[in-house]
Amino acid sequence: MPPERTSAARRTDGLVRSILSRHIPSILLLSLLLAEAGVGAFIIRDLNKSSESVQKMYNGSVQGLLKFGDLQYHAQETRRSTLYALTTNDGNLQVEYAEQSRQADRLVTEGIKDYLAGARTPRETEAGRHLAADWQSYLQVRDDVLGRILESSVKEAVQIDLTRGVPQFELVREDLSEIKKIYDEQASLHLATVRELSGASRIRLLTALGLGLLLGSVAIWGFQKLRVRSAVQLAKLQMDFVASVSHELRTPIAAILSAAENLRDGLVTRRDDIIQQSTVITDQAAQLANLVEQVLSFASTAESSQLHPLGNLRIDEVIDDALRSTASLLREAGFTLERQIQSGLPPVVGEFSVLSHCLQNLIANAVKYSSGNRWVRVSAGMDERSHQIQIRVQDHGIGIHDSDLPHIFEPFYRSPEVVTARIKGTGLGLSIAKRSAEAFGGTLAVSSQVGVGTVFTISLPAVGQESAPVQFSEASKIGDRV
Amino acid sequence: MRTGVSIQRILLPPLVVALCVVLTSHSVVHASRNNPSQSLAIVVNRSNPIDNLSFAELRKIFMGDRSHWSNGHRIAVVMLNYGQPERRTVLRLIYRMDEDGYQDHVLRGMFRGDVFVAPKTLASPEILRKFVFNAPGAIGYLRASDVDDSVKVVRIEGLSPEEEDYRLPIDERSPK
Repeated sequence: MPPERTSAARRTDGLVRSILSRHIPSILLLSLLLAEAGVGAFIIRDLNKSSESVQKMYNGSVQGLLKFGDLQYHAQETRRSTLYALTTNDGNLQVEYAEQSRQADRLVTEGIKDYLAGARTPRETEAGRHLAADWQSYLQVRDDVLGRILESSVKEAVQIDLTRGVPQFELVREDLSEIKKIYDEQASLHLATVRELSGASRIRLLTALGLGLLLGSVAIWGFQKLRVRSAVQLAKLQMDFVASVSHELRTPIAAILSAAENLRDGLVTRRDDIIQQSTVITDQAAQLANLVEQVLSFASTAESSQLHPLGNLRIDEVIDDALRSTASLLREAGFTLERQIQSGLPPVVGEFSVLSHCLQNLIANAVKYSSGNRWVRVSAGMDERSHQIQIRVQDHGIGIHDSDLPHIFEPFYRSPEVVTARIKGTGLGLSIAKRSAEAFGGTLAVSSQVGVGTVFTISLPAVGQESAPVQFSEASKIGDRV
Repeated sequence: MRTGVSIQRILLPPLVVALCVVLTSHSVVHASRNNPSQSLAIVVNRSNPIDNLSFAELRKIFMGDRSHWSNGHRIAVVMLNYGQPERRTVLRLIYRMDEDGYQDHVLRGMFRGDVFVAPKTLASPEILRKFVFNAPGAIGYLRASDVDDSVKVVRIEGLSPEEEDYRLPIDERSPK
């Protein structure tokens, strides 16, 4: 028999291939989900950046523009109140206007200080310093004008305002315009950043939607293809099954008909010939009955309609029963049998006849798919790691291809090589055997190498182990043909 | 007992005399300083270089006989409203006129061109203080207790309002 390591590696490869082929749509959907999540994260990041930029724009430019508006208003108010004082001779009103002018100029001075304190670029600092200097110069002129007004030197006040006040205030205006220009440029910069981020988000969103649509379509196509392939596969299996069963039915029926016609037409008259023809009829009828029994057995197993009472079984007794039942088969096929059963094995929980039929199926398989080396070993022992009892049926037969290994337990499955070689069978035996083992809380595993041989291993929990099955199982009657 | 009575008779008279001396000297010290609320301070703009004025110069300025300060600024005399004790004091001590005489003086001066600008009349000491603060050539008067750092007090005849012999005590009597 082949070494276990090679078959394990092949099994892993096959498993991976099988998972990939069956789950491609799911993988696509998962990829879609991950892609959408990734793009979503990017979009959220962009939105956060946009929000920060807007916040910066508000804190920097918009709020700055609001402050600038106040600054401009108070500067105008400073000058306006001074000029109002020119319009009256009432000293009380003149004092009031002078006070208004001074209050406004204090606000402007504070505003300029705030601006300088918050200046972040050399250009802002420069503009702020210019404004501060020009504002102080204007205030000196303003004080002079106010003094002249209060001293009733109106003509001089007007003269000073026109010659010095107006140009100086114009410089202040220019400084304020420069500051406004800086604010506007900053606002434009922030706005451009926000637009850029919004554009990037839009592109990412569209990409994500397009990708989602594409991957979703591919996934749906994959799902549909899998369903169709499954349906086609099932139909093919059913057709193969019908053809196989028909062949299996026709062969004994033809033999029965032939023998019966010989008897009816009096073609056989001698006693020995009559006995031989009668034996053909009974043997073929029995084979026919077995076939019908196996089909019914599989159908009832699939429906899981029957429950079997379980009991503690001695493995050696089960194996011996199976060997007794297959003794004639092995003998006629010229097989050499090896029986190796570890002594003192604990019992297992199961149904005697079901487990025996399961073993018979595996032994019959060894005979059916034998090559020149007609040898079979049935062994049983305790696996100390898993605390399970393992029953192995090992042969030196033709072996099973890697590509067939994942499918041999599927109902009605028959490998192309087996069909080509016209080896009879229904494709139900291994499926029934696997279900039987699983019904008792165990497993049925296989390792094989083409041209070397095959090992089937039934693992069952020993009584007293945690994985012991429930008291009733859904296993049904097991047929004895594969 | 007799000894105790004799000690009291000996010590009591000097103690009474000493107490009288102390009380007298205290009242003398206080009498040498004027109460700020009872003196009239002459105030000018803080930029004005003038620190001291003779009473005669002060009268000239208020009468409108002098039009400019030494720094070139026009003199702007400011008065408080009619009926206030500070105004009455200025009219009585500086102008040496009653209200009618003052009005007559201003009108005549304006008419003749002797007074270029009539004194401005302001509603309250606070407004007057602000006026003087804003006008470099302004001169006005305030109760000494109403003065703050925004204006400058001018000494009259070398005396400040809180000093004894200061010549502008406020006349608190109501007009007849």
